[in-house]
Amino acid sequence: MNPRSIVPAVLVAAALLPAFGARADELADIKSKGEIVIGVLGTDAPNSFVDPQTRDMVGYDIDLGKAIAQRLGVKPVFKQLAVAARIPELQQGRVDLLAATLTHTREREAQVDFSLTTFVTGQKVLVKKDSGITALAQLAGRKVLTVKGGTQVPNIRKAVPGVEVVTFENSQQAFLALQQGKGAGYVNDEASLLDDFAKLGAASAAYRILPENISVERIALGLRKNEPGFKAVVNDTLRALEQSGDAQRLFLKWYGPTTRLKLEKRSFKIDSDKIDG
Amino acid sequence: MFDPSLVLSGPYRDLLVAGLLLSLELAAITLVFALPLAIGVALLRMAPARPLRWLGAAYVEAIRNVPLLAHMLFWYFGAPELLPEPLKRRLYEGNIEAISAVIALTLYTAAYMAEDIRSGMRAIPPVQMEAGRSLGLGFLATVRLVLLPQALRITVPPLISQTLNLWKNTSIATVIGVGELMYQAAQVESASFRSFEPFAFATLSYLSVSLLITGLAAWYQQRYPVRHF
Amino acid sequence: MRELIDTYGVYFLVGQYPNGPLGGLALTLLLSALALLLALPLGLALGLARLSPWRALRWPVSAFVFTVRATPLLMVVFWAYFGLPALTGYKSGQFATMLVALVVFDGAYLAEIVRAGVQGLGRGQMEAARALGLSHLQALRSVILPQALRHMLPSLVNQFVSTIKETSLGYIIGLSEVSFIASQINTQVFTKPAQVYLWLGFSYFVLCFALSRFAYWMQDRGQRRPATATPA
Repeated sequence: MNPRSIVPAVLVAAALLPAFGARADELADIKSKGEIVIGVLGTDAPNSFVDPQTRDMVGYDIDLGKAIAQRLGVKPVFKQLAVAARIPELQQGRVDLLAATLTHTREREAQVDFSLTTFVTGQKVLVKKDSGITALAQLAGRKVLTVKGGTQVPNIRKAVPGVEVVTFENSQQAFLALQQGKGAGYVNDEASLLDDFAKLGAASAAYRILPENISVERIALGLRKNEPGFKAVVNDTLRALEQSGDAQRLFLKWYGPTTRLKLEKRSFKIDSDKIDG
Repeated sequence: MFDPSLVLSGPYRDLLVAGLLLSLELAAITLVFALPLAIGVALLRMAPARPLRWLGAAYVEAIRNVPLLAHMLFWYFGAPELLPEPLKRRLYEGNIEAISAVIALTLYTAAYMAEDIRSGMRAIPPVQMEAGRSLGLGFLATVRLVLLPQALRITVPPLISQTLNLWKNTSIATVIGVGELMYQAAQVESASFRSFEPFAFATLSYLSVSLLITGLAAWYQQRYPVRHF
Repeated sequence: MRELIDTYGVYFLVGQYPNGPLGGLALTLLLSALALLLALPLGLALGLARLSPWRALRWPVSAFVFTVRATPLLMVVFWAYFGLPALTGYKSGQFATMLVALVVFDGAYLAEIVRAGVQGLGRGQMEAARALGLSHLQALRSVILPQALRHMLPSLVNQFVSTIKETSLGYIIGLSEVSFIASQINTQVFTKPAQVYLWLGFSYFVLCFALSRFAYWMQDRGQRRPATATPA
């Protein structure tokens, strides 16, 4: 009986085929469905998060998604995803578009397509002042905390060989672990780090963000490959937002001087999808 | 289409094997602590004094009615924060993730094992306890010399079954950042964009060890069958 | 603690609903109930297959049940998550993924409960039914199963308790069940982690303890009825 118990497991496994959506035309599909399913993180303020008072999903990515839905004339449906699940969910057709703080990288171009870059930020490390760490190199041999399944893990390993990385299901858990002192550093996009900094309020005096960027993150919306019609609409919407000044307004709404982050001005424009400088 | 070489050699294999070894370590260490705790709780539940019995029952009910995931989150994010600063700092410098996981696993497994041990002891006719006491042995001595050896035969198979559950439960430690097998499989998946190979490796590893444990149970029942009175 | 419950109580209970999908404790309950309901027919079929006289049916099903029981639930969830759309072409959400994983997993466990329940009746019942001229299937339907199911009720309720606990794994695939919501609340508040997780534990405890007491009560009540038919 023993060998037979392996056989069903292998059979079930072997029956699974990788799904590469051979979708005829996503644009037509979305229009006929009357809705577009947009994958978001929901745990990454101010890009997408749940407003505790209204329990609504809001944020910079959410507003971009709503603009695209409006342009298509369909209803936006936001689906919360884990960081590690973003690309698989898009590839398998469970969401139509990713507005989930997805970094545009060369490696990922083999899996998915990217819109124009919607946000540019660096990835940095947040540490507690009393850890005595002032430079990245000092993290060697120490524990850093971050989220599973993003660009953070490979970036920090490249930047600090010999670093020990512990990852969690979402970035908030990782940040909590840093606050509790379970690691020396917390890795995330600078924008998120600034938001966390601001959330700490007075307690932020005990923390510092290390100045070196471990990478420059060009964030963009994620689309399935081979969908020229859909991609054109998405990019047109983004260009229109930029030209009308709405993109700037969105930035100020979520990142500007009146928000927790207090970024003075945008360092980028939504007009290109080039990466690697 | 499928590429087993992805996980059978190279850095991905090393990650997965490291994960497998850590899973085994977690299970082994938990077992060492859970068994004595389980015996203690079982004894509590059978003690002559009512408050002690209530304590044992409260422990078992409180632990078993809460999912292991919630236990893990509590022992990692919640409980250590209540410790005094210097102790906390020392703890956090070390392997707090694995320590929290072992604590959660130990308490959880012991609650189930205690019940199995108690059933085993209750299956022994009360005359055995009476006979032991009438021979002048105290409660604990009777348990140790008369009841436990007999109870072991009945209890070991369910205990091995709980060990099987423990082995599977080590996978939950992934949520508090412990680098065991499930964690590593997910890491390899996000690094390589291939889901089948790492998860197949993990599944086969879990199955193999489960088979070993089940085989052990079958062997034990063959070798030491329960004697009926 | 009081302000915690006041501010986040609704979010904890129902998640984002109605501003978003259902979440929290309500989702946990819904998912568990649905999973068990759907797992029952599967468990029944698998359990009976394990007792069938035909080897061609018995061996593959036994192998399947054994394999599922030897695998961690988290592994089954990941397989469902990555494999389901490939297998069925159906693009499932996190709820559907978790549901399928739970139905398959619980089905295998229920199969064992069914098997034990039927075997516990003793061969006499089946022999008597066959002697009366009923076919194997008719005997199952009118004689064996009604009695066995009555005895299995406490075990079924305990399986429901297990299922409620199993839904916590939805946390890992980002399903907004109660453990996920509690973690969200915790990161918003972040100065009271012990309280938040105690609150989570307490909620599960109340739910599961009540149900397991109910199972215990059912078992007690059931004991007073004889297992075999009373003579005319």
